[in-house]
Amino acid sequence: MSLTRRDFLIGSGALAAGASVCVPFFLPKYHSVQRPKRSRVAILHVEQYSQQIEQMLASGLRLFPINVLGKTVVLKPNLVDYIPGNAINTHPLLVLAAAESFRRLGAKSVLVAEGPGHQRDTQLVLSQSGYQQCLRDERIRFVDLNRDELIRTPLRASYMGMKDLWLPSTVLEANFLVSMPKIKAHHWSGVTLSMKNMFGVVPGARYGWPKNILHWKGIQESVLDLCATVPVHFVIADGIVAMEGNGPLNGTPRPLGKIVLADDPVAADATCTRLMGFRPDRIGHIREGSRFLGNSAPALIDQVGEALTPPTTPFQVVPEFQSLPAL
Amino acid sequence: MARLGRRQLPCGGWAALRSCSQPALEATCFSALAPGSQSGGVLERAQDFILHTQNPNGSWPVFAGDDPEGAWVTSLAVIALRELVPAIPARSKGFHWLMNCAGKESNWFWKWKFRTTDRHVRFDPDKFGWPWLPDTVSWVVPTAFAILALSQLPCSCGGLEGIPFRVERGIEMLMDRVCPGGGWNAGNGVVYGSPLAPHPDDTAIALLALTDRRQEPVVQSSVRWLERTAPTLTAPWSLAWAILALAAHCRPVDSLVTSLVALPDLSNIEDTSTLALVCLALDHRRALSAFGVTL
Repeated sequence: MSLTRRDFLIGSGALAAGASVCVPFFLPKYHSVQRPKRSRVAILHVEQYSQQIEQMLASGLRLFPINVLGKTVVLKPNLVDYIPGNAINTHPLLVLAAAESFRRLGAKSVLVAEGPGHQRDTQLVLSQSGYQQCLRDERIRFVDLNRDELIRTPLRASYMGMKDLWLPSTVLEANFLVSMPKIKAHHWSGVTLSMKNMFGVVPGARYGWPKNILHWKGIQESVLDLCATVPVHFVIADGIVAMEGNGPLNGTPRPLGKIVLADDPVAADATCTRLMGFRPDRIGHIREGSRFLGNSAPALIDQVGEALTPPTTPFQVVPEFQSLPAL
Repeated sequence: MARLGRRQLPCGGWAALRSCSQPALEATCFSALAPGSQSGGVLERAQDFILHTQNPNGSWPVFAGDDPEGAWVTSLAVIALRELVPAIPARSKGFHWLMNCAGKESNWFWKWKFRTTDRHVRFDPDKFGWPWLPDTVSWVVPTAFAILALSQLPCSCGGLEGIPFRVERGIEMLMDRVCPGGGWNAGNGVVYGSPLAPHPDDTAIALLALTDRRQEPVVQSSVRWLERTAPTLTAPWSLAWAILALAAHCRPVDSLVTSLVALPDLSNIEDTSTLALVCLALDHRRALSAFGVTL
């Protein structure tokens, strides 16, 4: 069989067209590998919210080689809405304890920043959830990320297909960003932990309430793009009273008695997921994040503090996530 | 009111937060509507800023320098320019943009998806309104502001014949998205079978857009919910909106105004829109007229 010039050109064209369609599916969607060689996670046993938290947290932070001397530390709690009796938000006592600890470690300034995803009246959420008084008493500045000054920021991953996002200057200019999630089951994403907590940096004034564009672009995909673009330097997760079931708002409080500290958000979320009785590789953003953002494999995580003991009864989830509790 | 005037930026706009310098349309529109803006050229500079930030497609951006596809603040800009005769062509372009901007569920494909595979949030996709930004679904606040803006149109002619249909659909959408027991939140009344709680500000803004439907049971139950909730509010943004909405529905608001004035740190409010809203609530009759609400 002889190959004519015409056959060759047609074949080459078809091959090029096929490659241009298929290759993007095999190329990595992240721009660089940010994963550390090893990660460190500490689990602290804390039964209840009390003034003792500060001392316990300070002890826990000593397990990490943290250097915040002269740095601006931004604490990013999970503050969504207030419904009496529901464990929705990171407890203010834990945020205060973190602020005091970082001040003692020599931070130049510590501020609390959040853009609630559901409630537009940020001051009402602050007031109802007990934050306003605590922050005022301790002279801690709060920045409403829903209305902060915005900077166009190129995304460092392309899972959701957007080139850039307008993000708040307070977060982009922070020297040390601490994600402080509430450990919760979530009806759209399975869990909401330190990585999903970064939804709060997306400004509502620009993208709406809830941050609907992220839902349309894919929650797991948005989490990955955000975490690749806005690095989380440390995690303090509030699992003293967590939430199971129909989270993030209408779930049931679940006393877990844990605070999780970590120098890697993927390792933190993998550990929290195991504490909830789930398999981290069944959560899309944790599984994919472990390829380039951080470590989820136990062999790559230095576990300090308490041992990781999965619960006898896994956290309840909505029907779509029934496959999570399969350890 | 004097503090609000002092926050005006040299460009004529206002930043969303006191500590910022990026002019934002929401803060600018509310500040331009506030009673103190009539003196010393404040209003003229604000209107000039709003006119100059309009996008080529007729919409307005969330802040100066934003991408040009447009956003929910277009409704506020159209309202803020209502008395400016030279702004008529700009407002007309804004009305056209609003008429053509719809929640994504207005498309047959997404309607079908929400009817068949994606049914965790209870809503009727036939009843659509306006999104926060193009290419997303309808939500309560942008829909309510769009209804208020489009209701100020003297006539639906000159290519704007579709507006009565859009306003009617928007009103139906608000009625559909109400929370069980009355009131509105962002737009999710029931998710996974669980009722979600209403928010005072979202409820108040929706009620402002529904002043022509005072006799509807949904409106009446929402007014009652807001009346019960308003005296407990400790945040000026929500309380100010509650005053405006309850006044629009002919409810007494004197005690709420007294509570608003008594809130601590009122003059140190960081959020400019909140400060402007407080000024508007203190002069609620004039504010309602600016929003096109007749008592």
